[in-house]
Amino acid sequence: MAPLSPYTYIQCPCSDAPSQARPSETPTRDIAADQDDDDRTFDPRAPRSNYSLYPLEYLLYCEDCHQIRCPRCVAEEIVTYYCPSCLFEVPSSNLKSEGNRCTRSCFQCPVCIGPLQVTSLETPPDPNLLAADNTSSGPSGPYILACAYCHWSSIEIGIKFDKPNGIYSQLQKLRNGGQTRLTAKERKDRRKEAMSTGSFASTHPSNPGSDDVLDVESQFENLRTFYSHQLSESTSAAPGLSMSDLGISSPSSLARLMNYYNVGSLDPSKKGLGNSRGRARLGTFREALDTEEGLQLAQLDESASISAFKASTLSDLTTTSQRLSQAESHLSNLVSPALHGSSRLTSTLRPIPVLLRTKRSKRCPVCRHIISKPEPKVASTRFRIRLVAGSYIPAVSIRPLRVPGVTPPPPPDGLLRPLVPAQYLLTFTNPLFEPVKVTLATPSTTPGRFASKVTVLCPQFEIDANTDVWDEALKSGSSETSRRRDEGSKAGGVAEVGKIWERGRNWVSIVVEVVPALIKTEGGEELKEDEDVLEIPMFIRIEWEADATGAEVGAAPGTGKEVREKRELAYWSALGIGRIGSLGQLG
Amino acid sequence: MLVKPTLTTARVMASETSLPHRTLAGIRSGSGTTASSGGTSTTIPHTPLRNVHSTFGSPSTIRAEDETIIVEIGTRSLRVGFAGDPVPRGVIAFSPEQSRRVGDFRAWESGYQDNWRKWTAPKDWGREYELWNYDVRNLDLDLVGDRIERALREAFTKYLLIDTKPRRMVAVLPSVVPLPLLSSMLDTLFRRFQSPGVSLLSAAVTATVAAGVRSALVVDLGYSETVVTAVYEYREVHCGRTVRGGRMLVEQMHQLLKQCVTEKDGRAYNDPTDKSEEFIASFDECEDLTSKLCWCKPAAKSQGSQQANKRLSILEEEDELEGARSTSQDTSESVEIPLSSTQPPAIIRPSFERLSEPCEHTFFDPQRQPNSFDDEELPVHLLIYRSLLQLPLDVRAVCMSRIIFTGGCSNVLGLRGRIFDEVSRLVMERGWTGVTGKVVDEQRANLRARSQVSGRPTEVGGETQERTSDAATAGQERDPVEEQLRKAAGESMPTVQGSLRCIESLGSWSGGSLVTQLKVPAIATVDRDLWLQQGAAGASRPGNVDVRSRQSMAAGGLIRGAAAGSNWTLGIWGVA
Repeated sequence: MAPLSPYTYIQCPCSDAPSQARPSETPTRDIAADQDDDDRTFDPRAPRSNYSLYPLEYLLYCEDCHQIRCPRCVAEEIVTYYCPSCLFEVPSSNLKSEGNRCTRSCFQCPVCIGPLQVTSLETPPDPNLLAADNTSSGPSGPYILACAYCHWSSIEIGIKFDKPNGIYSQLQKLRNGGQTRLTAKERKDRRKEAMSTGSFASTHPSNPGSDDVLDVESQFENLRTFYSHQLSESTSAAPGLSMSDLGISSPSSLARLMNYYNVGSLDPSKKGLGNSRGRARLGTFREALDTEEGLQLAQLDESASISAFKASTLSDLTTTSQRLSQAESHLSNLVSPALHGSSRLTSTLRPIPVLLRTKRSKRCPVCRHIISKPEPKVASTRFRIRLVAGSYIPAVSIRPLRVPGVTPPPPPDGLLRPLVPAQYLLTFTNPLFEPVKVTLATPSTTPGRFASKVTVLCPQFEIDANTDVWDEALKSGSSETSRRRDEGSKAGGVAEVGKIWERGRNWVSIVVEVVPALIKTEGGEELKEDEDVLEIPMFIRIEWEADATGAEVGAAPGTGKEVREKRELAYWSALGIGRIGSLGQLG
Repeated sequence: MLVKPTLTTARVMASETSLPHRTLAGIRSGSGTTASSGGTSTTIPHTPLRNVHSTFGSPSTIRAEDETIIVEIGTRSLRVGFAGDPVPRGVIAFSPEQSRRVGDFRAWESGYQDNWRKWTAPKDWGREYELWNYDVRNLDLDLVGDRIERALREAFTKYLLIDTKPRRMVAVLPSVVPLPLLSSMLDTLFRRFQSPGVSLLSAAVTATVAAGVRSALVVDLGYSETVVTAVYEYREVHCGRTVRGGRMLVEQMHQLLKQCVTEKDGRAYNDPTDKSEEFIASFDECEDLTSKLCWCKPAAKSQGSQQANKRLSILEEEDELEGARSTSQDTSESVEIPLSSTQPPAIIRPSFERLSEPCEHTFFDPQRQPNSFDDEELPVHLLIYRSLLQLPLDVRAVCMSRIIFTGGCSNVLGLRGRIFDEVSRLVMERGWTGVTGKVVDEQRANLRARSQVSGRPTEVGGETQERTSDAATAGQERDPVEEQLRKAAGESMPTVQGSLRCIESLGSWSGGSLVTQLKVPAIATVDRDLWLQQGAAGASRPGNVDVRSRQSMAAGGLIRGAAAGSNWTLGIWGVA
């Protein structure tokens, strides 16, 4: 078992709010919940905690509300859309029409998700030659997409391109195997031809042609046209019964459809009323009858696929993740028909256009102030505004306390010994320019099945301001600092109750004593994941005095200088100390 | 139940006032007339329908309408996209990795996948891959909300590329989702995403819409269970469920792997239904192999349905070919499967035939007697047959020729064809009667013999025969009024009914997208303010809701204030 490096997670205060405000479905239970709400301690082991705990680096801070903001409780606005592969900015209008993927030539390998490169089939794969060619005349087609990592290429799915650029639009017209996809117009023309020659279509007009299988987009399009046509038709069929009496210019067909969708009125006692009204204005529209209208008969005969599957080896079959990424990029790959089980062979895979990404600015949801705003330029990684929580709340670091000669040498495997007290040093670093007062609270035993004892030796202390480093250096000789330094118990070499361990310019270390629980599992009960990690829930409350900000004393700017205001911030955090070993393991 | 199942003729149907059945009556009397594309050409020309948003509609509201988000939530995954898209933009699968803390990157450590025993307790094998369980007794509903939130947030950021502006949402849900889960989902959508309104659509109905029909028998071969829903005129009229779904399939696959591994070790594998809760391979690997290798044997060749004759003959040829091949190399034909998550890693070589076993056991279970199944574990073909049987005659006639297979397990090769054939066989054997047994068979044989002797057509069970021979239906008088009406409407509907037929649907999500884009408002539309005030308790029964006022709201997006006075409903989800 690997030892664990200590960690700190912070629970964003936003996470309790909604569950407490939830209207009570079972009143009795809620009252009980309210009663113990105050002294309820946070359990970092609860499955829900995984959704509210964040490392400090993920948190932002709103300066106006003086509150921590986590990714769940910020309002986001999009600054730029761009392709992470070609770094081209995409205007937001294109997003609507062209989807969420790069429509240039950026593709990912469908097998290994590596980036695909456009390569000419003609030129030898000599890089020097290729470069020379590019500068002069350029290689001539046909072109393929090839993965440099797993050597997949679009030849495997029978696709070649005529031009080296605009691969996306070329690919949209090609089916796997190289056939071009029929557009709706072409299909119609073909149908007309068949009609005029008096072949299949005229003899079986109502039969959906079993052999022309529509791709998803055409089927959807056909259905949409069919429905909107039917909707308008049934409107005109019964004009007197429209919704015009409501004075709202909503199409009457909606009202009629409402009745169709009135799925709820299955209750026989209700149907008399609801349906007689509905039936009166029922200008029924019919269902789709052929392919043109979007009806598709299912091809149940899958023996061909089965034998293809039978002939293939395991490596020819797609994995779950490959299929998932195919499903995600399906919107850009609508050329293939919506067949069941079609994506089982790797020959049905299609290159995945690269997903676009966004740069987002973040606002506080309460006061609407911007708390993070990136540079709009795609290539720049800088931020214009970025109020990270790390510069407002103290960072906590954890390490074992080792006093030479006093503490026994640490076990070589880095695990905690059960039932043997161990001391850890928590160092709080103050990022603020004001001294802060910190109050800590922990339950005396950790929650969960294995309760370890926890004692914070000094739960209340003050940290000096984060002054200039040079100030510290220049003042180092002054008596005040040295006096304060002396109050730490490090000098004595033994951790004392009520005394901090050590103090620095803007940091304070305190000692936490833990007695790890004995991990033993009874019966068939198995150890859950990470249940042997000693994790301390700690409530941290910090208090400091700051200059009242201009926004708040805006009414009286003259006196603003002297106004100091008291601020406080309180939150739960989870401190991971280490993994507890078993008795037997340690001998 | 919508109509009494005792109705036998269209005449009786006509006097029943409960159904918008005019279409049906028309079909009955006028099945002879056919007008193919003439149906559309004879209609009066008119201005096509425009999407009028509202009298006071400003462009901003139009844009807001356009950005309606369709969310389809299933047990294993969540599909998200904009209304009007043919397919969802993002698919998020639920997995244990998804519920890790932010900043916990252990999933990227090498050897993490092989260490699956550490992060899954044996009794939870595969459970963490599910969002919810319809048995909500031991379910942390807040946790479900959190999981939905995280998945949606990921989808919005990664796939939809949208900001956190409040948007209207449409949730496509199976109609069996229990109220606590629904309310936990709505809570998340309203509180975490500030959605101004959420509409609920039934997955079976939207799948019907996406197939282009009004009535269908939707067979959702889902993960947690298989649901057979009869949709008639866009209403769910019957719903049958069985636990035979994807979860069972994966578990059966695991059994097979376990069996192979034990056999490879030289030990005898005694009991295939071995209940020892020891899992030898990780869920990930089992699921992957299931989706890769599972296939379904075609139905036994001797029986075939009259509809599928042509198709069957092709199948049979294929089978003979295959049979010839398989006799020559039957023993050698095996698939080599390297298993990495077992201890120690192993390579097993089950025969190709054997790989169809999990599917066989899961969906058909031919070893057991049909009467030995419990209500919740009927084999799928039996469930479909029973569902059809319980439908009223005319509803059955329409639904049986519109069978739609959806859900993840419909991707198992050959499964749909097999189910279809099995159902056809059942219909052939039993006809449409719920009574089975030796005595019934004898009686039927007797009847048949007697009718052959007398040469007179008799009702012999079996709907097909009934339709041709029953005097009541055959001799029905033509209704001149009805015909006139139909002529006036300029419609003639040659509708396929009475025969088993399978049609393709684009899926529930696409149906939801289609419905929303056509601006068809849902009955169950929940307003944010009302939900926050009243919660699920505030919903009234669907019949009590003034459909028209709600509809105008949804269509125009105006009168927010008026909503406070009107009542709202959760539709079929709210009916306790």
